[in-house]
Amino acid sequence: MNAKKQTNEVAAYKPHSWQTALEFRAMWAVLALGIVLPFLVSKPLATEIMIYALFALAFNLLLGHTGMISFGHAGYLGVGSYAGAMVVFYGGVGVWVSLLAAMAGGALVAAVVGLLAVKRKGAYFAMISLAIAQMLYFLALSPFKRWTEGEDSLKLPPLSVDFPFHLNLSDQTQLYFFVFVIVALAVLAQWRLLNSPFGHALKGIRENEDRIRACGFNITRIKFLSIIYSGLFSGLAGGLLAIYLGAASVTTLFWMTSGVVVMQTVLGGTHTFMGPFIGTMVFLYLRNNISNYTDRWEMWVGAMFMALILLFPEGIWGTVMQKIGERRRPSAS
Amino acid sequence: MLLQTNGVCKYFGGLKAVDQVDFSIEQGKLKSIIGPNGAGKTTFFNLVSGLYKPTHGQVTFQGKDVSHASMNERSQLGITKTYQITSIFPRLSVFENVRLSAQSRVSMFNSWRKAYSYSAMNNRTMEILEHVGLADQQGRTASELSHGEKRYLEIGIALATEPTILLLDEPTAGMSPAETVEATHLIRKLSNELKLTIILIEHDISVVMGISDEVMVLHEGKKLAEDTPEKISANETVQNVYLGKGAEPCSR
Repeated sequence: MNAKKQTNEVAAYKPHSWQTALEFRAMWAVLALGIVLPFLVSKPLATEIMIYALFALAFNLLLGHTGMISFGHAGYLGVGSYAGAMVVFYGGVGVWVSLLAAMAGGALVAAVVGLLAVKRKGAYFAMISLAIAQMLYFLALSPFKRWTEGEDSLKLPPLSVDFPFHLNLSDQTQLYFFVFVIVALAVLAQWRLLNSPFGHALKGIRENEDRIRACGFNITRIKFLSIIYSGLFSGLAGGLLAIYLGAASVTTLFWMTSGVVVMQTVLGGTHTFMGPFIGTMVFLYLRNNISNYTDRWEMWVGAMFMALILLFPEGIWGTVMQKIGERRRPSAS
Repeated sequence: MLLQTNGVCKYFGGLKAVDQVDFSIEQGKLKSIIGPNGAGKTTFFNLVSGLYKPTHGQVTFQGKDVSHASMNERSQLGITKTYQITSIFPRLSVFENVRLSAQSRVSMFNSWRKAYSYSAMNNRTMEILEHVGLADQQGRTASELSHGEKRYLEIGIALATEPTILLLDEPTAGMSPAETVEATHLIRKLSNELKLTIILIEHDISVVMGISDEVMVLHEGKKLAEDTPEKISANETVQNVYLGKGAEPCSR
């Protein structure tokens, strides 16, 4: 109560920017779209969009919000995927435990990358994370073949959930809504994270690392924790991917996965919250449709990616927000 | 003595950027460091702020040796610096620029609570914005501010860390003469009202004379003089350095 009184004495402050308000609405709009998405596009595509969108948001925690570029996110997704699948395959545990294991797996790899690379900047950080992810790929491919089944993928039995109510995850619709709810919760958790003191400190690092250090922030620890969070959410996406694919596969760990998530994120807009989500939707929708017509879909997707980036230099959602900002400026006091 | 340096040196290879400087400042005083370009002012300043570690010598703060403490450790102890080249968070609002800095004293790792829900921090931010005259600009994006306003914001960010000692590196750099007068008054006002200890770096001697309690003159990394502003203005060696009479032949 005392605190409230104090607030009234000092001049009113309105800390929330219009960008935050707009992003907040965009987040709910996209999540609402998620409810009807499986009826607009095929259910497997809708599921894939949700999983990779979560992955892209987790990736953007580092790229867009902390300002660190990682070329090794396949490592977090892949290890999450394997961790989730292995505890089911060898431990016979349920889906929820599998998802927890996936998050732990992603976070563990992130902790290793963090310990080795947190003090490196820019391309050096990117290269170390890429190297670790590639090491994991080759480890999964052959030395650990006994446990990962190598190129054959670790195949899972049909899964179902009994808590809080029964869901048959072999059914495409039930699987989609299972994935959707978890992704939605993870998106809300990330929103909360980014609007917390920790999240604001991340933005400070992105905006001006020297200055925020001079303000007394411990940059190394904050970055380390940010890598862990990114690994945690990427691991969760990996766990969902294993459930969706019914298998954990080495291609998840391949460097292409790390590359695609960069494209999806940049396509949507790195300096925004929902950009990576929107970028993933557009990217996977295009890829899916184009690959119906041609085997050379990579070429066409690449061309379209370039065209879209020329049209939307800040990413699709980023450029839309920028245009809104320009329109607001003359009227803003 | 709140802060002291004993024979502090900083060498960059063969260059003695700062050479055997003894310096001290008492609580609540405003002390300026002046000198021509290249005199070692900024290097000395960074030895105090923690960006550089001294090659030889010691920096003592509140009786503790902080020579090897990093910049963020020193900031947490209460030594905060501003930058000669404006260093703000360009894409964040004016309010958030200062609030984020204030947050460094409260919470770094809380990942759940809303950042704007700490009312004490918000109030403190508004107080500081009023001190530096930016309260009515709080909602603007920092990059949109004028140069002078950015310099004030810079000071605001430093104030938000609740410094015991504030290091200002050429706070009036790039300001018009009128803005400079206004800024120097603000600095004196901050020092009086907030009982702040301030170390001010300047190359323009006229800026510091009216507001400083004491002035130290650096020249080629060495301390040339240290005295009250009146005595410094009357000091012949200082005049020679500044006006280039005798002491420094141009064609060296």
